[in-house]
Amino acid sequence: MDDTLQNLALGFSIALSPAILWYAFVGCVVGTLVGVLPGVGPLAGISLLLPATFGLDATRAIVMLAGIYYGAMYGGSTTSILMRIPGEAASVMTCIDGYAMARKGRAGAALAIAAVGSYVAGTVSVVALMLLAPPLASFALRFGPPEYFALLLLGLFVLAYMSSGSMLKALAMAALGLLLGMIGIDQMTGYFRFAYGVVELGDGIGVVPVAVGLFGLAEILATAGLAVPPQVIKPTLRELLPTRQEWRESAAPIGRGTVLGFLIGIVPGSAHIISSFVSYAVERKLAKRPQEFGQGAVAGVAGPESANNAATSGAFVPMLALGVPSGPIPAVMLAAMMVHGVSPGPLLIKQQPELFWGFIASMYVGNVVLLILNLPLVGVFVNLLRVPYAILYPSVLAFCILGVYAVNGSVVDVWIMLLMGGLGYFLRKLDFETAPIVLGVVLAPMLEMALRQSLAMSDGQYSIFVARPISATLLGVGLILIALGLQPLVTRGLDWRARLALAEKGDEHP
Amino acid sequence: MRLSRVCSLAVLAAVAVASAQEPYPSRPITMVAPFPPGGIADLTARPVAAAMEKVLKNPVGVLNKTGAAGAVGMQFVATSKPDGYTLLLALSSISIIPEADKLFGRPPAFTVDQFAPIALISADPTILVVPADKPWKTAAEFVEDAKRRPGQISYSSSGVYGTLHMAMELLSHAAGIKLRHVPYAGGGPALTAVLGGHVDALASGPAVVLPHIKAGKLRALAGWGDKRVVALPEVPTFKELGFPDAEFYIWAGVFAPKGTPEPVLAKLRDALRAAVNDPDFKGAMEKIETPIVFKQGAEFARFFEADAGRLAEGVRKVGRIETK
Repeated sequence: MDDTLQNLALGFSIALSPAILWYAFVGCVVGTLVGVLPGVGPLAGISLLLPATFGLDATRAIVMLAGIYYGAMYGGSTTSILMRIPGEAASVMTCIDGYAMARKGRAGAALAIAAVGSYVAGTVSVVALMLLAPPLASFALRFGPPEYFALLLLGLFVLAYMSSGSMLKALAMAALGLLLGMIGIDQMTGYFRFAYGVVELGDGIGVVPVAVGLFGLAEILATAGLAVPPQVIKPTLRELLPTRQEWRESAAPIGRGTVLGFLIGIVPGSAHIISSFVSYAVERKLAKRPQEFGQGAVAGVAGPESANNAATSGAFVPMLALGVPSGPIPAVMLAAMMVHGVSPGPLLIKQQPELFWGFIASMYVGNVVLLILNLPLVGVFVNLLRVPYAILYPSVLAFCILGVYAVNGSVVDVWIMLLMGGLGYFLRKLDFETAPIVLGVVLAPMLEMALRQSLAMSDGQYSIFVARPISATLLGVGLILIALGLQPLVTRGLDWRARLALAEKGDEHP
Repeated sequence: MRLSRVCSLAVLAAVAVASAQEPYPSRPITMVAPFPPGGIADLTARPVAAAMEKVLKNPVGVLNKTGAAGAVGMQFVATSKPDGYTLLLALSSISIIPEADKLFGRPPAFTVDQFAPIALISADPTILVVPADKPWKTAAEFVEDAKRRPGQISYSSSGVYGTLHMAMELLSHAAGIKLRHVPYAGGGPALTAVLGGHVDALASGPAVVLPHIKAGKLRALAGWGDKRVVALPEVPTFKELGFPDAEFYIWAGVFAPKGTPEPVLAKLRDALRAAVNDPDFKGAMEKIETPIVFKQGAEFARFFEADAGRLAEGVRKVGRIETK
């Protein structure tokens, strides 16, 4: 413990030096911008800016790149809340209740809670990263394909809790998402599936164009289709701040989101996206009034936003402690270290204490910077809502197209986004929720890969899933969840979902 | 006959001179890296481009055109104008992709003869690593055990028909063994798998696994190069061990679209020769621990052909993968 404090002091002496502070600040600002721009997520932002860091020394470069990463997680919530456009894929869940809050005039409150939740999650998970990195990292390594498969399966069960409407419709949408996720090169055999000669489709359907299309474009189209334009919201200063009630309702979700996000973040894969889905589902399951989810529940913003921020710190655990990437973003950061002559590996913490502790300390500092940066910006961003729709939406559309194109420089992605926008519009008209499609697109390739890798490992023996303790435990939890889900069938009671559907029938369709 | 050839050459030369009114290069050059930033192609392309800029006195920009394991970017260069303003920094996979396309009977995204090789920049032999707690101390023990238990020893790779898969397949054929292949989506996850003990072995570039060997987590058994890896002098090559066909490098080379005029190619070769001797470039490659191996013209063409032949053979031997 003494050592940790001493090291942390060393870290802060580095992180608070003007130069490092400056690069942390630049990273945070760039990250916020990257997060705000629809489509451009942290991966694209870091990739585009990586070459610009080649001239810096290793610590500065890593501090700046990390700033972009968690800055983007903060910024991603802004457009989700204000315009229902996910700034990056992990903000999809924030769109649902964040935007509903904005429609009720609580945009400022939603933004403030997202910022504070992100701050708490960011700071707490850095503490966890600092104290627990080495033991957690070796635990993360025990997650092989069978464990990963069990975890993803658990994620799929979570789907069942995600929608507020009909379970059948939610499952249909999830199935559609899973099917879309089947497009692309079969990772195990090299076959092109459903690519129809388009080389770009070899990589499958990206989650970014799907998310931006289904949420952002569909919203723009739906608004354009209204006979009377919706009223422009004029936020007043008083409405910018969350009420005491809203703070109370978001405290527990922030805490749970932090723990969930950090733990899921450690597991290799696109964890920050999944963590936000899981947190949303958990919050709804625990909520006293689950019917509020989708109509502007504060917990539906606080939980997922905290989770995706905590997941970014979790993702650094295997990277710093072992030198192995836990996802595409840490992989780019590892490359950045190599460019600077730092060999990432299990000896990094011992050999490069300035880098490791400077990095940790800079994450504390960065989170403070982001909070200071984002809270006042709430007032600025909210004023975007004053812009008349005739001007706002065409420019947002242009930004969506630019953003999605910028990620891979691929016109095919833009077409996917446009098609998804059209699809999302019709699904909305038919009262389908689109979030399960996004989750399906995220999960399908990972789920399939993990299943087939496991079977390759075991030479086709399915027993591998129950023979390994972690995967057996996870599958057991999944079974319990299913059993709980079936309980209403046995007890013949109406669960809240059915009651809500009945109520809606009475209210909204007279 | 001879006269007519001279005439046609003269005419060609005249055309070339006429069209080359503006001296090459007179505007920015794009070097396409068909993999995302941070990958070995990108990390090689950027210092190469920076060093070429100094020689050619024109900006050389790196464009990451990614997708489909590099096929998107390679196809892009194969079909661009052969004027020397669009270049490709390719890895060994350039000769694997068309062969895999052929295997599946699909129209190839591009073919190898759509490119004019300019120069080889680096070549890094892969090395065989196993988790330190596995019983094999030497490559001979590994091969022997694999013979005893065909299909029981598993290895991870960066992807099916990927470079790390091919390296293992070449070894399997040279040694007459059968291993169990578990493909991953990229070299990073493949390394994680072997560190976590989920698979028994991995063929990898030395730079990536060196820290883990030093930390005592992995053990290196042998290398695929024709010489030992400098950083691991005690690790033998498969050649020394009597498997001369197990030769494999992860290499990076610069290509232009076929049909690029010879004077332009000559200029590019000179620029690249100067670039690899640039101290900044040398420093950059040292940091990513990738040995510079420069070959140009006929020498590179020979290396490329031999390598492409080995890989094509490797792909054909793997054949289509039928899962149960």
